[in-house]
Amino acid sequence: MSRDLTSSLFWLGFAIFVSFESLTALKLGSLRQPGPGFFPFWGGVLLGMFSLILLARSFMSRERLSFGALRWPALFLVLGALLSYLLFLEAIGFVVVTFCFLLLLFRFGETGWIKSAASSLVATSLAYALFRLWLQVQLPRGWFGI
Amino acid sequence: MEILQGVLNGFQVALQPINLFYCFIGVFIGTLVGVLPGLGPAAAIALLLPSTFALSPVAAIIMLAGIYYGSMYGGSTTSILVNIPGEAASVVTCLDGHAMARQGRAGPALGIAAFGSFIAGTLSVVLLTFLAPLLMKVALRFGPPENFSLMILGTTLVTYFAQGSMLKALMMALVGVLIGSVGVDSISARYRFTFGIPTLMDGLGLVPVIMGLFGISEVLQNLERTTHERMIYAAPVKGLLPSREDWRRSAMPIARGSLLGFFLGILPGAGAIIASFAAYAIEKRVSKHPEKFGSGEIEGVAGPEAANNAAAGGAFIPLLTLGIPANAVMAILLGALLIHGLQPGPLLVKQAPDLFWGFITSMYIGNVMLLVLNLPLIGLWARLLRVPYAVLFPFILLFCLVGSYSLNNNIGDGVVMWVFGVLGYLMKKFDYEGAPLILAMVIGPMMEEALRQSLILSAGSFSIFFARPISAGFILAAALLLILPLFTRRSKIPEA
Repeated sequence: MSRDLTSSLFWLGFAIFVSFESLTALKLGSLRQPGPGFFPFWGGVLLGMFSLILLARSFMSRERLSFGALRWPALFLVLGALLSYLLFLEAIGFVVVTFCFLLLLFRFGETGWIKSAASSLVATSLAYALFRLWLQVQLPRGWFGI
Repeated sequence: MEILQGVLNGFQVALQPINLFYCFIGVFIGTLVGVLPGLGPAAAIALLLPSTFALSPVAAIIMLAGIYYGSMYGGSTTSILVNIPGEAASVVTCLDGHAMARQGRAGPALGIAAFGSFIAGTLSVVLLTFLAPLLMKVALRFGPPENFSLMILGTTLVTYFAQGSMLKALMMALVGVLIGSVGVDSISARYRFTFGIPTLMDGLGLVPVIMGLFGISEVLQNLERTTHERMIYAAPVKGLLPSREDWRRSAMPIARGSLLGFFLGILPGAGAIIASFAAYAIEKRVSKHPEKFGSGEIEGVAGPEAANNAAAGGAFIPLLTLGIPANAVMAILLGALLIHGLQPGPLLVKQAPDLFWGFITSMYIGNVMLLVLNLPLIGLWARLLRVPYAVLFPFILLFCLVGSYSLNNNIGDGVVMWVFGVLGYLMKKFDYEGAPLILAMVIGPMMEEALRQSLILSAGSFSIFFARPISAGFILAAALLLILPLFTRRSKIPEA
C-alpha cells in the first residue's frame, strides 16, 4: 500500500458518497433550472475521476506506506485532551477544565507535578483575565459558578 | 482626484486613536506570530477573529490585516537567528540570512530585512491605493457568467501554484467546494449534507475549519519533532544598521523583489511563499557571483524579504476589487467582513468608503509602526525564541479551543475544529495541501450561485460562458493552465 493508494481510495469513497447523496436526497434539477444537488453532484463526480487517476498512478509507484517515527502517545494524548475539554467544558465550567487541560499538557512536557500545577494555575488565571475580563467572552461557569 | 480625496479621508479614519491602537495591536501580534515557528498568520487570524466581534468593522479589519503583514516582518527574524522559518514565506531567508548571522552579521541581516520589508510594504500599498479603484470599475461590469469564469480561473491558479502535486491540489479544491456546500442552499433554501446535526445547519464555519487545518494539525506535527531539534544556534545580535555597502548591494534586489512580489501576490494561490522563492531565484540569476549564494549574500535576504511583504499587499487586490480571496488569510478576512455585514467587491468603496480607505491607509501607518517596533524589539523577539515548545503548545491549543467555542457559544464548532485538525494532520502525512481546500470552501458557494444564475439566464446553455468575451478569456486562461503542466515540467519549490 502506498500513501497515494490509501488516500485516493478514501477520497473516491467520499466522492461516491457525496454524489449518491446529491442524486438521491437532493434534486439535480435540469440545466435550465439547476437544483440543490446539481453542483455537489458534479463536484463529486470530478473528485471521483481525479481520485481514480491518482489511484491508477499509485500502482506505478513503489513507495511503501510509512511516515517515519510517529509519536503515538503524544498524538493520542493531545487529541484526547482536546476532545475531553470540549465534552466537559459546559458541564464543569471553563476554569476547572482549563486548569486540568493545561496541567495534563504541561506534565506531559516533562516538568514535575508541582511545577506543572503551579504553571497551570498561573496560566489559567491569565486565560481567565484575558478571555473573560478583557475580551468579555461568554464562557461556561459550570460547577462552583466560576 | 477621487483617489486623493479617498486617501485623505482614509487617514482621518486610520489616525483616530482607537484605530491606531488596534493597528498597533495587530502588527504587534503579527510580529509575534511571525517570530514563533509553528503558528502561521492564517491560524492566528482565525483565533483572534471572535475577539473582534465587539469592535467596529474598521478597527476589526485594520487589526486583522495588521496581523497578516506584521507576520511577514516577524518571520525573517526567526529565519536569520535560528535557521528555522518563523512562517512559510521566510523559508528562503534562512539560506543567506542565517549564513550572515553565523558570520556575526546578524544585525545587518535583520536590519536589511526590516528596511526591505518596510520599503516593499509601503510600495505595495501605494500600488494598491491606485490599482484597486481602477479594477473595481472594471469589475462592476461583470455579470454571473464573468464571475463564474473568473472564479474557475482563480481556483485553477491556486492549484497551479500548489507546491506539491497539481492533481492533489485539484482534488483538495473539489473537497473544499463540497465542504462549502454544507448547510442551506442559497437558491432553493434546502438543507444539504446536514444529517440533522444542528451545527451543520449554518454550514461548516470557516474559522473552526482553518483552526483545525492550520492550527491543531501544525501542533500535532510539531510534537513529533523532539525538542532539541528546534533550538540549534541562536546568534548574538549587534549593530542593526546596514552599512553603506550593504545598502548599495540591496537597493536593486529590494526594488525587484517589491514589484515581483506585488504582482505575484495578486494572483490567487501564488502569494508570499512563491514570491520569496522567485525573488531569490532572480537575485541568484542576475548576480555576478551566483556561487556565493547560500554563504551569506545580503541580496539573498533583501530580495525575498521585500517580495513577501509586497505580496502581502498585492493579495488584498482580488479581495477588495472582486470579493475573491487570493489565499487562506484573505478568506478569513472575507469572512470577517461578511460577519460585520460588508460585502467585499467592487461596491465596497461606495458602500463603505470610510472602511475601504481607512483600511488601506492604515497599512501605511502599520508599516511605519512595524519598522519602529521591530528594530528596537529584536532583542525581545530573540529571547522569546528560547521559550520551549512544551510550554507554548498548550497555549496555542487553548486559544484554538476558546476561539472556536466563543464563535457561537457552541461546542459543535469545537468538534468541527477537532475533526479538521485530525484531517489536516493526515493531509500533511499524505502530502495534501490545506490552502486550496480553504479557498475553494469560500469560493465554492459563490461559484455555485454564479453558475446556476448563468444557466438560468442562458436557459440551460453553457455557451453563455464562451459567447461573452471576458468570460471566454478567463476560461481559456484556466484551460491553458490545466493543459500546460502536461507538456512542461513545473519547477518545484525545494522542501525547506
